[in-house]
Amino acid sequence: MNTQTAAAGWRGDLRRLSRSASFDIGVVIVLFWVACALFGPHLVPYDPFADDLLNSLMPPSFAHWFGTDQLGRDVFSRVIVGARDILTVAPIATVLSTILGTALGLTMGYFGGVIDEALSRIVDAVLALPTVIVALLALTALGTSNITVMVVIAFSFAPVIARTVRSAVLAERGFDYVAAAELRRENTFYILFIEILPNVLPPILVEATVRLGYAIFTVATLSFIGFGIQPPSPDWGLSISSNYGLIGGGFWWTVVFDGAAIASLIIGINLIADGIEGLRHD
Amino acid sequence: MPGNVGRAMLGPFADQAAVDVLNHEMGTDRPVLVQYADWISGFVTGDMGMSYAYRSPVAPFLGTALLNSAKLAAVAFVLVVPLGIFGGVIAALYRGRPTDRILSVVGLSATVVPEFVSGILLILIFGVWLRWFPISATWADGAGPLTQLYHLILPAIPLVLILFGYIARMARAGMIEALDADYTRTAVLKGLSYPQVIWRHVLRNALLPTISVIATQTVYLIGGLVVIEILFHYQGIGSLIYTAAKKKDFPMLQAGVMSIGALFALTTLLADLLYARLNPRIRFGGQE
Amino acid sequence: MTINHKLLDILRRGRNEHENHLIDGVVREAVSRREFLRYGSVLGLSAPLLGGISGALGFGLAPVAARAGTPGGTIRFGHIVPAGAINPVTIADPGGVTILSQFAEALVLSAPDLSAVPLLAESWAPNNDGTVWTFKLRQNVKFHNGKLMTADDVVATFDRLADPAVGSNALSALSGMLSKGGTRKVDDYTVEFHLDAANGNFPYAVSTDNYNAVIVPAEMPDDFEATMIGTGPFKLEKYTPKVGASFVRNPDYWGAAPLPDRIEITFYDDYQPQILALQAGEIDIIQQVPVLQAVGLLADPTFNIITTPSSAHHQVHMRTDMEPFKDKRVRRAIALTLDRPKFVQGLLRGKAQIGNDSPFMPAYPSTDSSVAQREMNIAEAKQLMEAAGMAGGFKTTLTTEKYLEIPDYAVLIQNAVKEIGGDITLNIMDQGAYYGDAVPGKSPWLDSEMGITDYGHRGVPNVFLQAPLSSTGTWNSAHFANAEYDTLVKGYIASLDLESQRASAGKIQTLLLDETPVIFSYFYDFLTVTKAGVTGVVATAMGHIMLAQASL
Repeated sequence: MNTQTAAAGWRGDLRRLSRSASFDIGVVIVLFWVACALFGPHLVPYDPFADDLLNSLMPPSFAHWFGTDQLGRDVFSRVIVGARDILTVAPIATVLSTILGTALGLTMGYFGGVIDEALSRIVDAVLALPTVIVALLALTALGTSNITVMVVIAFSFAPVIARTVRSAVLAERGFDYVAAAELRRENTFYILFIEILPNVLPPILVEATVRLGYAIFTVATLSFIGFGIQPPSPDWGLSISSNYGLIGGGFWWTVVFDGAAIASLIIGINLIADGIEGLRHD
Repeated sequence: MPGNVGRAMLGPFADQAAVDVLNHEMGTDRPVLVQYADWISGFVTGDMGMSYAYRSPVAPFLGTALLNSAKLAAVAFVLVVPLGIFGGVIAALYRGRPTDRILSVVGLSATVVPEFVSGILLILIFGVWLRWFPISATWADGAGPLTQLYHLILPAIPLVLILFGYIARMARAGMIEALDADYTRTAVLKGLSYPQVIWRHVLRNALLPTISVIATQTVYLIGGLVVIEILFHYQGIGSLIYTAAKKKDFPMLQAGVMSIGALFALTTLLADLLYARLNPRIRFGGQE
Repeated sequence: MTINHKLLDILRRGRNEHENHLIDGVVREAVSRREFLRYGSVLGLSAPLLGGISGALGFGLAPVAARAGTPGGTIRFGHIVPAGAINPVTIADPGGVTILSQFAEALVLSAPDLSAVPLLAESWAPNNDGTVWTFKLRQNVKFHNGKLMTADDVVATFDRLADPAVGSNALSALSGMLSKGGTRKVDDYTVEFHLDAANGNFPYAVSTDNYNAVIVPAEMPDDFEATMIGTGPFKLEKYTPKVGASFVRNPDYWGAAPLPDRIEITFYDDYQPQILALQAGEIDIIQQVPVLQAVGLLADPTFNIITTPSSAHHQVHMRTDMEPFKDKRVRRAIALTLDRPKFVQGLLRGKAQIGNDSPFMPAYPSTDSSVAQREMNIAEAKQLMEAAGMAGGFKTTLTTEKYLEIPDYAVLIQNAVKEIGGDITLNIMDQGAYYGDAVPGKSPWLDSEMGITDYGHRGVPNVFLQAPLSSTGTWNSAHFANAEYDTLVKGYIASLDLESQRASAGKIQTLLLDETPVIFSYFYDFLTVTKAGVTGVVATAMGHIMLAQASL
């Protein structure tokens, strides 16, 4: 297997992917939210933080498409800009966990033996606890901040990625190119990251996409229970958490649009992950 | 154990003397390592320590909470397993056709939407507007099983939604594999009717991967319980851990987390045993 | 005003110096009628006597609305889960206070109108310099265990609360006022409180305001939570920590027979689920709900909101010893950017009173109402900034806690100071993190340049005047140190009559407006929500909820 054929394979994959409707929908949704996160503050009709106390809790209208919240802030602007924090925290957490997990998985798969055994035990231990619970424990101990949230998610997702990478590496381990590199007395770092890594990249990417979906889910959940993104961010989970007592009084617009935003983003990412995964099974 | 436990419990405006007395009483004025060693040695001998917040032993709280969560999880499983398998079987039978695609996208979407989004919508629609179900999962003392079930249906639905996609997908895969397998063809050739074949051979094989999904998703389910139990006001293990975290009640928090770890080990073991019983290839592994 | 001097003279007989001084005040119209009634109650003038004096002066005491409810039934209510074990000595949170108020009572009720109403004490009076207060106890009051309540129980209760060795939460409220041993039995139904320093408002220290000060048997069991023996209208039936409680009518209650058969309480971790439970008909009353969450209930005719004015507020402190707030003109400029009526209207839905940058809220009788209210004035604010050499604006961080509407209030302040070039970064933390260890150096609350802190209700402003503002105050997050202020506050606290209290208050108010170490822009009301048709519910801003005369 060399990089050229791999690249050609990738191009073919992409072409096949773009023929899948659900994959396309996923890409459109995710790109929309990424654009909102990047350029949102310049696109929205109102400053998402500007209060207008005398026009609070107005139902959706032409002036305010999604109505206004308790402080008279424009819900539409807040939903758009609300993409920013979650799309910063979750992807960074995912990248961190992928790096960590890949390094761990390469080490476990390549060396095997005692190292693999020991690391596998740790991985199993981490996997025995739900991320939300681990996060609660860690955030209680370390205090809440976006950075702690990222680190906690990175650590609790890394084992899953490590497992995937490990099994991929075990398969690669037997190939001649690895043996050849060993014969050339390349150093271990070179063998792991320059020789093996490019060949196990596809499963890593799939796993990372799936993890990104989970990361968004986790960050939103943590924000909802008060341990994630902190006010005054217009974050979706946070807005829902501070407004859901209002829905019984008829102010549904303070919650429903944020809910739809979270749901659409997570569904979008999972449609993409699903598309890529389906490809690998074909 | 960071922070000043006595201060966290009594609040910022409490007198320093009161805080000191409380810390001394609870032993939280000792070095952290000493406290931890104390706690660990207690834990292995079955003493889970005293809750900081309630100044009473942790164990009874934990017992009630685990039982409550088990009830909620049971209701969710009883609803979702047949539903998921049915969905998976249908999808497999209509493989590649629109029914299959719709089921797959719906299943996927239901699975990934956070519980608090679906939970709030359910509360709003069925609790506040239609008033069909109680929105609080906690029932009055001495309520019979039916009343308890009535209280648990609404909170179980978000869990059902989350699990449906996984189970349906696994059931579909298992079903397809079974449908394509030689023994199915043989059975059909032997003259068994199609429903009979599905019932006898295929379903059992489709069940196998479902069991492993349930085992792996248990952990995830418990994570989801945190949100569900807060939202529906239910005293289970999730809300126990959440309140302990909020109150910095470390003995309670640690005991809660430890018990979840233990629970995970237990479900994994049970699932393995069940899997082995149902899977002829493993059961007769020695003879093949 | 037609004054019946003859009647007044008869009534004056046997009154002490302070009481006659108060009567003089109202005769001269230096003290309003409402204030007379309220302060008279503090001095221990009985209700019939107050009524008599009022009548002699030509104004009647408003008759107590006595609408009889229907006896029987179970009232279900919800409130925030108590933070810890139910023990009157250690309780420090509103959730605990609510439970306490079902089964136990204090000597004095600090009523919603801020007057002191006799509860387990029948009457009280100070000596001439206000250092000794004598309380007459109500007789034939039985604890739930059948024993009679006597002076011994009262002495034991207060000695316990003033004991530094038992972890009493009332210690800070009593320190410098009442020490262990200061409570002395005179006879079975008379108790003297020998104070550490003169105090004109002492009855509030033994009232429901000092919520730990409920009278419990002298021999208090270690496991108080299991029995909850008090004198209250309801007896414990069942208490399940974290979950809820139920109480049943106390047939031996000393007062009017309680109406409800049972009280069923459900604990909640947050307000939102309570509101939804009320809307779904699962509970009848929410003990308290912050106005921001109650918005959906305010206009709904199927619910009734009980508004209890309170002195609870959010203090915005500015470090007077740190840039950019060293110059008092900057602090004043910031206070001038706030549109207080709009905050009260928009943020608090009108359920608040406007503050004037001192703890003296309008409802306190000692407040000098002639001190002009600070209003938004951007032009003046800009001039002040220029005069202070900061026309170019300033940058700072506002650190605060995630509690009630505080995060939103912070946003409003952040937006408001933009007018004078203020660039505020918000740092909103969870409550535990914000208060930290509650000692300087280890607490963002006490260390931050600028911050917002929640202060609960007090019947008198004494605590607000000292801890957060005096130079030795333990909660002085503004690091405000002003010798003149300290002297004024000492004088205020020691003064026994309303007129001299008000004179000191006026000076304190003026000084604080000039210095503005802390912005007090509103005092928010305490809201209790009931299903429509529920009557007779009495709530206090401390978290008590009294349902003895409630009916569905």
